[in-house]
Amino acid sequence: MQGGSITSKQRHVWIYLSPWLITLFIFWAYPFAHSLYLSFTDYELLAKSSSFVGIANYTRLLQDSDFLRALLNTAVFVLGTIPFTTVIALVLALLVNQKLPGAKIFRSGYFIPSITSLVVIALIFTNLYSKGGYLTLLCDMVGIPTPERGFLFSEGTALASIMVMDIWIASGYYMLLFLAALKSIPCEHYEAAAIDGASGWRSFWSITLPQLRPMMLYVVLINTIKSFQVFVEIYVMTKGGPLNSTLTAVYFVYDRGLHRFDMGYASAAAYILFILIMIFALLQMRVFGIERGTAE
Amino acid sequence: MKLRNAALLLLMTFILVGMLMPLWWMLLGAFSSTFSSGSLIKNITDYSITLDNFASIMKVKNFGRSVLNSAIVGGLVTAGNLVFCLMCGYAFARFRFPGRKLLFVTVVAVIMIPVHIIIIPLFLLVKNIGWYDSYAALIVPFLVNPLGILLLTQYIREIPTDIEEAARIDGAGEFRILFSIVAPMCKPVLAVLAVQVFMTNWNSFLLPFILTTSDSMRTLPVMLALLQGYQQIDWPQIFAASTVSAIPVIAVFLLFQKHIVSGVTAGAIKT
Repeated sequence: MQGGSITSKQRHVWIYLSPWLITLFIFWAYPFAHSLYLSFTDYELLAKSSSFVGIANYTRLLQDSDFLRALLNTAVFVLGTIPFTTVIALVLALLVNQKLPGAKIFRSGYFIPSITSLVVIALIFTNLYSKGGYLTLLCDMVGIPTPERGFLFSEGTALASIMVMDIWIASGYYMLLFLAALKSIPCEHYEAAAIDGASGWRSFWSITLPQLRPMMLYVVLINTIKSFQVFVEIYVMTKGGPLNSTLTAVYFVYDRGLHRFDMGYASAAAYILFILIMIFALLQMRVFGIERGTAE
Repeated sequence: MKLRNAALLLLMTFILVGMLMPLWWMLLGAFSSTFSSGSLIKNITDYSITLDNFASIMKVKNFGRSVLNSAIVGGLVTAGNLVFCLMCGYAFARFRFPGRKLLFVTVVAVIMIPVHIIIIPLFLLVKNIGWYDSYAALIVPFLVNPLGILLLTQYIREIPTDIEEAARIDGAGEFRILFSIVAPMCKPVLAVLAVQVFMTNWNSFLLPFILTTSDSMRTLPVMLALLQGYQQIDWPQIFAASTVSAIPVIAVFLLFQKHIVSGVTAGAIKT
């Protein structure tokens, strides 16, 4: 493409890329491979030696009721939050996109929860959800029954409470992405539809939604990858309890690997989760990709 | 139409209150002298503002240190990203070299790869090279982030090459071209990157948490998460500490809104 002394320029490319390549290989690529290796060993931090155990960790995991529970909880978390987050985010984006006074203030306000530290948010909600906390008192006032030990210490409500919090946090973030996509739809589409006498509702279904499809894929994909890894809120709010009702896959990896130091076993769990995430991501690309292909 | 707009505004205000209520609750707790949920709801007139909670949280051993750690780590990681992402973005945008396509795909892939997969081996690695519980562990692995490379590559591609070519003909060296000609033209995107990296780092929990162990090496979010387990720490103090963590980010957001919004959306729109 460009002229000039090719060789001296070539040399510079590798100088420019080297900080990234070095950190990439040492701190990301190598651990990524090492993790796969560990998953086939019985490595424990405190043990003197470790040996190759083949797929023993994997077969043990599939019989470990804690791990299966963790996968189930993670699936509930992912499937239970993403549809709500996506729809709420889209509605918020449509609302903020109306030409109303103060739209920018609303946009900023809705976005603030998602830039605040997750630890901070989790702490605030721990207080709100606690026995005698703000939310229980509010529920008492309107006569909604509340769990006796507070929302987070009751098996039936703990995971759902954390899910509600996560929907609340993430909606504003994805709203911003939808808003950017909405603004990039050419006005002519709507003008043409208006001339043809299409109602607002009609043009939403036949113009807005199809145009939003690529962003929809991106939002769902990013959110899936993120949600599968839910950890911080679990660590701060429940530590996986009560009775494993909020134990998630990454919390399991952390607990077995860095708490009990059963690292081979935890690495196998991490890889199973990784493979599940990849399968989900590819499926989503497939589904959205095919639909997009037929729409165009 | 008027009625519809009024209804929409009412709805949006209602949602806004819901969105900000928990943070308002945090501030209420942080500045209150007699904080308990019950008394606050039943008798809001009892409320009086005080800074005592901040004073007592600053007395907690190593809390101030954790704020300092977060500032130091955030500052250095941001500086590193500005320089290194600029270098990588320039390389990808302006040079043809063997393996370029593959490396660029790697950039995107690394953005997508879930971080949980490396926590155990990263912990082992950092321990083995003697960096466990040190600033190096908190800084070096995070010096170049792939999202920043993507951002810079896309931005530099849009800049015409004439000025660089002219400088090259005048005999300017490659580094001079990058740092004194291209870099100033990238100021807007570098601002986006700086705000983005600093905020992410300031809030980051999982990796700083597993790569450190002593109280004096904790960053602010890690310190916050651990405060719950401390004796004699109550909600007002936790909320005061949370406020110390949240307010800078919200302030930066309100000041640099444009940068943050374009940083969030830039990656999405063009991929």
